[in-house]
Amino acid sequence: MEASNATVTAPPSSSATIPLVTLNDLLWLLYLYPVRWLGIFLPRWLLYGLGKLSNPILQFQFRRSKARAAVWIAQACHTTPEHARRVAGQSLSNTMFRRLDALLLLRPSSSKMLCCTAIDGLQHLEEAIARGKGVILLTGHFCANPVALRYLAAQGRSALSVLNQNPANRARGRFGKRFLQPRAVQLQKLANPDQVFVQDPDSALNVMRRLRANGLVFLQIDGRGGTAKVIEQVFLGVPWRIRSGIFEIVRLLDCAVVPTLCLGRSNGFRIRFDPMLPVARAASRETFVSANLPAFFSVVEKQIIEHPEEWRLWNRS
Amino acid sequence: MEQLLTNSGFRPRETVDRIRRVFIDSLHLNLREEDLHYEDKLDESVGLDSVAVLDFVTALEKEFQITFEPEMLTIDLVRDLKELTAYVDERVARSVPDGRQ
Repeated sequence: MEASNATVTAPPSSSATIPLVTLNDLLWLLYLYPVRWLGIFLPRWLLYGLGKLSNPILQFQFRRSKARAAVWIAQACHTTPEHARRVAGQSLSNTMFRRLDALLLLRPSSSKMLCCTAIDGLQHLEEAIARGKGVILLTGHFCANPVALRYLAAQGRSALSVLNQNPANRARGRFGKRFLQPRAVQLQKLANPDQVFVQDPDSALNVMRRLRANGLVFLQIDGRGGTAKVIEQVFLGVPWRIRSGIFEIVRLLDCAVVPTLCLGRSNGFRIRFDPMLPVARAASRETFVSANLPAFFSVVEKQIIEHPEEWRLWNRS
Repeated sequence: MEQLLTNSGFRPRETVDRIRRVFIDSLHLNLREEDLHYEDKLDESVGLDSVAVLDFVTALEKEFQITFEPEMLTIDLVRDLKELTAYVDERVARSVPDGRQ
């Protein structure tokens, strides 16, 4: 992962034919309507029980994607094919439980349902806040992020999340893209209102406002590039296109960067803050990216290699 | 009014020109000031990369030695060149007595 390999480019356009409805769309339809309404009144143990029951069906349905993911996991995490297959299965399962947890977060009493078993390295966060220039919580797309963010907000440490409103998903059909995706975004916004989307023209200014107020901003660096400027980089052994915005935010606003890792489910999760990343200063965007990209990426790569089953590799492999 | 402003050291015309210059420089646009359609170009740049507006605002702060108030960090203000000019002038005027915000 050499910094010199990084280049900022515009993304290519996609012209692939997309089917009207896919299986993925039907699962989302099921989730957004009947399951969502069940989630309002069913106790967590029952909701999780339904999740466990449907897990074998999901595992069977996505067996081909799982097999493809396993090959990549084995290579990226330097593990055996057998272990990689188990990780792929666990990741799929955790992704489903993450969706169920999102329904629990819609409840007015959700804060009481969040069971945080440990917060490690809080002193690193305090130290970063003491700098007075805002803090970016740097991480990857881990399943426990939404519950951890909600918990932190309930503890008075609200963090502004920056999300992609329209993430690439080859399994989604035209119906899913036009009808279900906007509703999924609405649901996500209800579960955690403290978020902005990279597609909003105001998003960078919202981030600036939060950091200027010495607040927290939660950034997942491993998101695939969209319509914005992206950096092409090898990440976990494969070519990756990420948005370059985070580097510009850190360069211009001189905020602290604290690697953050959230693991588990709503009935037992933990949060870890690591020491602040040393940031090399540079006048230009390109120099800054070259100087800091390896450190930013390697910290998230390490998180993923340590806990691949907790990472949302599902739509990314 | 303009005469009064000029006499007191504030030149709205100059402010607009400087803002347009900062805009071109900070976004690395390859065009002349007279060819700049500010709002169209801003929308185009922000549409491609929302962080572009951050480059522009921080460059404005550096150029005019001001700090934007948090509540004024909105795309609506930045998009409206007339309002932006008035705001920058106001911030510069406020910073004059003690030399800083």
